Amino acid sequence: MHQTGSGLKKRIVITGMGTLNAVANHVSGFTKSLQEGFCGIGGIDLFDTTEFRSQTGGQVKNFIARDFLPRTFALKRMSRADKLALAATIEALRDASLDPFPEPFKEQAGVSIGGGAGGLLESETFYRDYLRNGGENAKFSTLSSLFCASSTDCIASAFGLSGPKSTFMTACSAGATAIGYARDLIVNGHARMMIAGGVEPMSRLTFAAFNALQSVDPETCRPFDKDRAGLSLGEAAAIMILETLDSALSRGANIYGEILGYGITCDSFHMTAPDEQASGAVRSMRAALQDSGRSIEDIDYINAHGTATPVNDITETKAIKEVFGRRAYAIPVSSTKSMHAHTLGASGALEGIVSVLALHHGFIPPTINHREADPLCDLDYVTSGAREADLRAVLSNSFAFGGNNTTLIFGRYSGGGAAHE
Amino acid sequence: MSDYRHTDNAQRVVVTGIGMVTPLGIGKEEFGRRLFAGETGIAEITSFDTNSLPSHRAAEVKNFRPRDFVSVKNMRRMDKISLMAAASARLALDDAGFQITPENRDRVGIVLGTAFGATDITAQFLQTLFTDGPASVNPILVPNTVMNAAAGHTSIELGFRGVNTTVTHYAVSGENAIAYAAAEIRRGTVDFIFAGGADILSEFYYTSLTRFKALSPQNRGREACRPFDRERNGMVVGEGCGILCLESLRSALDRGRMPYCEIMGSGMGSSPTKPNQWPRKTEGIKKAFNRALQNADTRVDDIQAIFAAGNGDTILDAVEAEAYAELFDASQKKPFITSIKGATGESFSTGGIRACALALSMEKNILPPSAGLINPLRPLSFVTGEKKDLTVHRATLAGISFGGTYTYLIFGK
Repeated sequence: MHQTGSGLKKRIVITGMGTLNAVANHVSGFTKSLQEGFCGIGGIDLFDTTEFRSQTGGQVKNFIARDFLPRTFALKRMSRADKLALAATIEALRDASLDPFPEPFKEQAGVSIGGGAGGLLESETFYRDYLRNGGENAKFSTLSSLFCASSTDCIASAFGLSGPKSTFMTACSAGATAIGYARDLIVNGHARMMIAGGVEPMSRLTFAAFNALQSVDPETCRPFDKDRAGLSLGEAAAIMILETLDSALSRGANIYGEILGYGITCDSFHMTAPDEQASGAVRSMRAALQDSGRSIEDIDYINAHGTATPVNDITETKAIKEVFGRRAYAIPVSSTKSMHAHTLGASGALEGIVSVLALHHGFIPPTINHREADPLCDLDYVTSGAREADLRAVLSNSFAFGGNNTTLIFGRYSGGGAAHE
Repeated sequence: MSDYRHTDNAQRVVVTGIGMVTPLGIGKEEFGRRLFAGETGIAEITSFDTNSLPSHRAAEVKNFRPRDFVSVKNMRRMDKISLMAAASARLALDDAGFQITPENRDRVGIVLGTAFGATDITAQFLQTLFTDGPASVNPILVPNTVMNAAAGHTSIELGFRGVNTTVTHYAVSGENAIAYAAAEIRRGTVDFIFAGGADILSEFYYTSLTRFKALSPQNRGREACRPFDRERNGMVVGEGCGILCLESLRSALDRGRMPYCEIMGSGMGSSPTKPNQWPRKTEGIKKAFNRALQNADTRVDDIQAIFAAGNGDTILDAVEAEAYAELFDASQKKPFITSIKGATGESFSTGGIRACALALSMEKNILPPSAGLINPLRPLSFVTGEKKDLTVHRATLAGISFGGTYTYLIFGK
C-alpha cells in the first residue's frame, strides 16, 4: 500500500548516480558540461549514415567497455546497451558507497530499467548477415541480448541482487517510468533499495525510423528556436540509486535529492503526433504535482521534454502555461537535449539526473543552439548560458510515441524525518 | 472475502472483467469451455513453412476477426499484436460492464506486458532497410516497431487516457504488468485499469527459438508440450493476449458488480542466473512466493491451487516442482498444481492469459487440467487428465522467467 499506517508517506531519496552520454562518461564531467553548455552532438561511427537525412547524433564517445567494467564481468554475450548500463550502474553504486555491494542489502535490492533499442545494434548486424547468407551459419546467440530486459538481468546478476526486477518499454518515457515505478516498489515495501534508470544505444532501426518520419534535424537540434527542424538522436545510460530516507540516514549515505512524485498519462490521440490540445502533457504534470503534494509555486525549474520538433515544443509550452498559469513565465524551462540529444528510452532517466544535479549543485542548465525566438514559444528557455539558482523542486517531462507521458518531480533534500505528512 | 484483514474497500483490488484472444478461442466462453475440457490449441503451424526447422508445432490464434472488435478507422494502422490487445481489452471492458465516457476516460488506464513485442514488424522493417535502403522504409510501420504500440493503439481504440505503460520482462511480463496495475488502483491514480500480456508468433521469432534449442523436441522424442511430465522435451510456442479489468472493491460494490476474484498481493524476486537460462535453484521461487504470501497477509496452508509457470522445459519444470515440494513440505493440505501451457503454448507473457484462466476457475469452482501431463515428474498434486471440481478460496499465479526473475500473485475468492 502506498500510505503507511499513520497516513505518512515514506520519503525516497537518491544516493548515487551514474551516466554515460554524448557529453560525458561520468557524472562529474556531465555536471561540468551542463554548466558550460557543451554540445555533444556530432558525427556517428557506429554505423554508416550516408543515406540518411541526418548524419549526426549524440553518440557516447570513447567507450571501451573494459575500461569501465571489472575483469570478472563476462562481456562476451553483452550488447552495447548492457555494457553502457552496467558501466553507469557501477559509477552509481560507487557514488552511493555500495561497491562492493553490501551482503545484507542484496536481499531487498532490485532493478528497474527503461529501455528502447536494447541489443538491437548487434542484432541488426546479425539480421543483415542472415538476410544475405541465410540462416545456416548465422550465430543466433547474438540475439540473446536483443531485448531490454537483458540489461536489467545483467545488473541484478552482476551484483547478486534478490529484489524485484522490471523493465519498461514506453519509448521516450520509459526511463522516467522505470524511476517512478522503482519509487513505488520501495514505498510499497517490495524493496529497500532500487537501481533505477534507463539505457538506449544508437541503432540503425531507430535512426531509419526517425528519418522516415522526417522528425530529425539534418543539423544539430535547436529546441524552442523559431527555425527548429527536428530532433537529434542520441544514446545514453543513466542510473540512480533510490532508497528510503531511513536506509540512507542509517548508513550515512550522501543524499543528492528526493523523488517527490510522478505522473503517467496517455494522449489516446495519435501514435506519433502529440495532441495539439496538450491534454496528456497537462494531465501528466498535474498528476505528478498531486502525487508530490507540492503546488506550482514550489517548482523552480522545468527540465522540458523539448525535442525540437516543430510541434512538440509548441505543445509543451502550451501545456506548461495551462498547468502553471501566470507562473509559467517566471519558471526557467530548458531542454538539455540541445547538449546530449534525445536519448529516447534513457531520456527520462538522463534528464532525471540533470534535474537532481541542478537541485544539488544549485544551477539551471541552458538550452543551447537557440538563435531566434519563436513567438509561439514564449517562456524563459535559459538560452544564454547556465544560471546559478537556489532550487527547491524540479519538474521533468518525458513524452513518447504511443502517447505515453511521464512527469517526474524531484526535490532538494533539506533534512527532516523519514515520512511526509 | 470477509476474512480478509484489510477492511478498506478502496484498497482492495478486484477483477471484474476478462478479455482474451488465445489459441483455445476468442473470448472467455470459448476459452473456458475448451480449457476445462482439457483441449489443446497446439497443432502443426499453418501460418508459415516449417519444413527446414527441427520443430513444427505451435499454439496459433485461429479464427480471430479483428473487425468484430476494432473500428475500421483504427484497424488500418494496427499490427497483429495491437489488434489482439485492443480486442482483448474491448472484451474485458464489455465483460466489466461499464462505458468509457468523456467524464471517466482520464481515470481509466492500461499496463500491458509483452515479452517480445511486434517481432513481425521489426523483421519486416529491417528487411526493407537492409535490402532496399533507408529511403524505402515505410513510415506507417514506424509506430508499430515500439513495444508500447499495442497499449497505445488500445487506448486510442477504446478512448481512455489514464496511466498507460508497457512492461517487458521476458516470461514475467504479464505478472509484472498485473502487479503494477493493481498498485495503481491502490495508489488511486485510476478507477479502472486493464492489465495483462500479449505476444505473437512470427516466422523469424520461431526460427530463432528453434536455434536456441528451446523448443520441443530438443533433439529427442515426439514434439509436444508436456508440462511437469517425465517425458517432457521442451516448450511449444504459443501466442495470444489475456487482459483483466481491475478496479477497487468499493468501485465494484458501488456499481453492483460481482467480482471474479480479488488480487490480494504480489511478491517479486531475482536470483543470479546466466542470461537466457532458466534458474537451476529453487531459492528465487521460494523468496518470491513467500514475499507474495506476506504481502497478501496469507498463510502457506491457505493456498489451494497453483497456476504454474511450467511449460515442458526440462530445467524449468524440475526446479519449479522442487520448489513447491519444499515450500509445502510441512503443510497438512497440499495445493493442486496445474499448468495450462500444454493448452495455450508458451507465449512468455502468458501471465495475462493464465490470470484470466485463474479468475474463471474461481468463478466456476473448477481447476483446469494440465494438458499434456501424463506421468508427473514428482508426486505432487497435479491436476491431470480431467478438470477438478473445487471451490478455491486462495490461489497463486506463478511467474518464473529465464534470466532469474520471479513474480507471484495471490488471488482470493
